Amino acid sequence: MQRARPWLGTLVEIRVDGLAEADAVSAIDAAFAEIAAIHRCMSFHDSDSDLARLHRAPVGRIVHVDPHTWHVLQAALTFAQESRGRFDPTIAAQLVAWNFLPRPQNSIEPDLAARWSDIELLSDSRVRLRRALWIDLGGIAKGYAVDCALRILRAAGATAGGVNAGGDLAVFGTAAQTVSVRDPRAPQNILPLLELRDAAVATSAGYFERRRDASGWLGPHVHGNRRRAVGTHSSVSVIAPSCMHADALTKIVLADARIAAKLLPRYAAQVCRYDSRRGWRTLRGE
Amino acid sequence: MQLRWLIPLGAAAALPAYHAAYAVQYMSVEQAQRAAFAQADGFVDAPLSLTEAQRRALDQGEAALSISAPKIWQARAGQKNLGWLIVDQVIGKAEAISYALALDNDGKIIALDVLEYRETHGAEIRLPAWRKQFVGKTAQDSLRLDSDIRNISGATLSCRHLTDGVRRLVQLYTQVLKPTSG
Repeated sequence: MQRARPWLGTLVEIRVDGLAEADAVSAIDAAFAEIAAIHRCMSFHDSDSDLARLHRAPVGRIVHVDPHTWHVLQAALTFAQESRGRFDPTIAAQLVAWNFLPRPQNSIEPDLAARWSDIELLSDSRVRLRRALWIDLGGIAKGYAVDCALRILRAAGATAGGVNAGGDLAVFGTAAQTVSVRDPRAPQNILPLLELRDAAVATSAGYFERRRDASGWLGPHVHGNRRRAVGTHSSVSVIAPSCMHADALTKIVLADARIAAKLLPRYAAQVCRYDSRRGWRTLRGE
Repeated sequence: MQLRWLIPLGAAAALPAYHAAYAVQYMSVEQAQRAAFAQADGFVDAPLSLTEAQRRALDQGEAALSISAPKIWQARAGQKNLGWLIVDQVIGKAEAISYALALDNDGKIIALDVLEYRETHGAEIRLPAWRKQFVGKTAQDSLRLDSDIRNISGATLSCRHLTDGVRRLVQLYTQVLKPTSG
């Protein structure tokens, strides 16, 4: 059984095999409920989300967030540190300036010098900002939601299944499944990329959303240190046991392949990337 | 984790690709009706007739391009009205989506499910003939789902059109379906 609903700003598809119809329906409903909960916590758009509350809070004020949010923030800050700032969840201000994200209502204007290290994680799911900043977890929360939903499908006793949140996907089951990737040169074409068992694939590419202005190409992926668009003409797929890790690593590969190569073994990750000059290549971990 | 590459990496040469008009049918209208209103014993067709003023009000704003008028059913259990099921279609840059929105009698969203997702090449989607083949397919015809081309990874497709479509249907409820006082 396969169902699709709009969450996380994209279409989320959930599939289970090996369950009776009623069990399949309740497993899929439970998995979507988890995704909906994660969406509500970490949406940049919803004024009730944890992020919106953080963006409204005066600098230095302690804000309680959902454990989901705290966990993803912790992972985001770890990736930020490990990538020396190439991955940075505080790039939201740049994405708002480029109209890739809407301006948050009633929030404090961000300090453009603010970086990931201005987010302070405290015990008991509490967070404090040292500077006014806007957080976008778009680069990691989809992968996290996929991992959480997949866990629910497994626990329900499905023999195989998969969750695909707009291209960030994870599969499980006894048989290997084919994973295809959109051809960045012609996104309506689909390339069979690999066969996979019990793993996740995340792809980041700017071809659907990129646009050009006087300063050059703009896109949905931003280099954390330089605050310029990356990946407007390339596509990066990361394969890893965890979709959250795969998701975040795609952005690091786009921003800085040398730093990414050092992180791949730590996350048991493999990379396949495309750019128009050199075609499809892997990236070897160091 | 087990992985086997299917594409020759390092080759800039043209790779074999599905030039597929990718399409998936997730649910039929009947399945969406039953899923949203398990207690219902019937679904009554509620054909939509809009006054000119209502149509203008609905056309305002950034409503998504709809292929055809939404289809509406009222869910019944005996004499009792349980709510509404509305089936609508939206068209995006490269995809067409039909979806079912279930609302209770107060207009609160009970369920939102995609019935069918279809991709195509840019220009084709604007052709009336192509659109026409899409309309009405949802109910009975089951589309071929090639199991080899599921699990597609790629740049995130926005679902803005779908969100706009839902917003428009909620408006439709407020303007047309909502019981007028008492």
